[in-house]
Amino acid sequence: MYYFPAKKLKKNSEPIVFIHGTGMDHSVWTLPVRYFLRKNRNVLSIDLPGHGKSPGKLISSISGFSDQVFKLLDNNSITKCSIVGHSMGSLIALEMASTQPHRVKSMSLIGTAFPMQVNDQLLEFAKSDVQKAIDVLTFMGYSNQARIGRNKNPGMWMTESTRRLMQQSKKGVIYNDLLACSNFKGGLEKAKKVTAKVQLILGSNDFLTPTRKAIDLIDNFENPDVKEIVDSGHTLMTEDPNKVLDYLIELL
Amino acid sequence: MKKPKDLKPSTLLLHAGQRPDSDFGARATPIYQSSSFVFPDTETAAGIFNVERAGHVYSRITNPTNAVLEERISALEGGIGAIATASGQAALVLAITTILEKGSHLIASKSLYGGSHNLLEYTLPRFGIDTTFVDLRKTNDIKKNIKKNTKLIFGETLGNPGLDVLNIPKVSKIGHDNNIPLLVDSTFTTPYLMQPFSLGADLIFHSATKFLSGHGVVIGGLLVDGGKFDWSSSTKFKTLTEPYEGFHDMNFVDEYGPAAYINRARKEGARDFGACMSPHTAFLVLQGIETLNIRMERHIQNTRTIVDFLNSHQSVKSVCYPELENHPDHELAKDILSKGCGAVFTFQLDGNKETGKKFIEQLNLFSHLANVGDAKSLVIHPASTTHHRMSNDALKNAGITESTIRLSVGIEDCDDLIEDLDEALTYSTRK
Repeated sequence: MYYFPAKKLKKNSEPIVFIHGTGMDHSVWTLPVRYFLRKNRNVLSIDLPGHGKSPGKLISSISGFSDQVFKLLDNNSITKCSIVGHSMGSLIALEMASTQPHRVKSMSLIGTAFPMQVNDQLLEFAKSDVQKAIDVLTFMGYSNQARIGRNKNPGMWMTESTRRLMQQSKKGVIYNDLLACSNFKGGLEKAKKVTAKVQLILGSNDFLTPTRKAIDLIDNFENPDVKEIVDSGHTLMTEDPNKVLDYLIELL
Repeated sequence: MKKPKDLKPSTLLLHAGQRPDSDFGARATPIYQSSSFVFPDTETAAGIFNVERAGHVYSRITNPTNAVLEERISALEGGIGAIATASGQAALVLAITTILEKGSHLIASKSLYGGSHNLLEYTLPRFGIDTTFVDLRKTNDIKKNIKKNTKLIFGETLGNPGLDVLNIPKVSKIGHDNNIPLLVDSTFTTPYLMQPFSLGADLIFHSATKFLSGHGVVIGGLLVDGGKFDWSSSTKFKTLTEPYEGFHDMNFVDEYGPAAYINRARKEGARDFGACMSPHTAFLVLQGIETLNIRMERHIQNTRTIVDFLNSHQSVKSVCYPELENHPDHELAKDILSKGCGAVFTFQLDGNKETGKKFIEQLNLFSHLANVGDAKSLVIHPASTTHHRMSNDALKNAGITESTIRLSVGIEDCDDLIEDLDEALTYSTRK
């Protein structure tokens, strides 16, 4: 499995594992990853199997993805880590922290909810007309304000950048990922098993994982730190990268 | 499930990239006439420099007013990001030098604006970048001239001044089959008439001096990245796929994915060549863009009327405009330029150089100057001005003769424009 930066990990330093969401790759984490690298932290910003630069067959379940990430950690002799996951990546983080709690020190779940049920029509689009699914995900992935623009990252048009990243994903990836999110079960019970320090970063204008759908999850974690970014949609790392980074620094 | 409702172009012209100012609620885009921006603390400063935080450092690289313009043009073109430059020419240099270096080669149209031709023919070879000029209508000529080191194909959406219509779907396919991106100059078409990215182009640049600003008051350029080209498809694009020592070994494709090109252009080209746009200019271009659709409609309407008038005038030998059936790209224009073929065109006077001189000097409303795309009507004699450094062969290839006159039709009352042209034609061709 590919991870950025593709360098040998430092010994005796607990890494931070960044896990992207549906149809994405490690490039969604470029800004925070650059911060933690500057601070000499071990970072693995991964491309899940079949995504970005990672070869391999697609994995159809969140638990399967979780197993693969643990395998990568094992191969690098990493016994404990912190995890940052966005959207589908947040479910993978939850799965990892509940199945092997002793290996996860802290985790930040960005743009998360449980259940992460995907609309049947969207799943059908993803299966039969992926461009339509990408259009829906892009539209719903941003707040009303962000669709007009005014990117904090100067000169970049947010919605088209996201659309392009998803368009680069391999055939079947988006359907696979959406289905994996939809089929993820037992999230609340899993939340109860988590011993790691938990942070949730939510956007008040998120149409894909609205904050109200994270309430049950929040209630089942022990002392979670909930951060709400006012006016941000689901694509928080693009819509408010500096606040996301500030919150990650607080946790990690 | 919400149905995606992307904002329409007429709305994007007014809103894309800008929200009311958060400090004072200004509705218009503020002009951030500031060379640099205060950091709240040293750690944030380090973070912005290291590109781990979003923000502005210095207006040569980014500026909040320019950023609005960059987002707006990206939104209108369907691109992922853009860079505002000091001129259209600066945008072209930035477009080329971001991926080409000493030993690189590009293929360009034979029919280009004189300034672009000079850059490719005389200046870039001094830096080891060579160009082969071909007729981009002849697809076999493009294929024949592709070399191992060919890294770019470049043409104008509407050639200057012969209005060759660039067959973007065909030319881009040849490029993509050989891992070569297509750069287009879309100055004459603007996003109102054509969206080159949707036809297959990979990079677009504009002289914002022309129709985008629309009032002949600024010099500016815009480079837009479509974000679709796969820079990793070959080993050619080392500036994007290999570590860049000038930015702490940043590998742009690895860190920015589809946005690799535009990030390299900003982090190297904007930083080092320094051909940035002034924020005041960006403001004026934004003001122009707000009315682009309305102006372009009127430009096209007036142009069609004038083309018809000249085409039936006894003192005019021929008119070159793709909407006329005798234009070699008439069918293609119907297909990819359905809203119109721009407001710049040429015609041949029935006479010689002297006739042309008399005609231009007799005009009253048409201003004789070296620009196009102003709200006011303009005229020029290309062979003695914009294209005068081109050889006779190159002039012939670009469809320019001694009696060629180029008009840029403005948005005045068309009756007044026709009267002005009629009087000048009568005077200049009087025996």
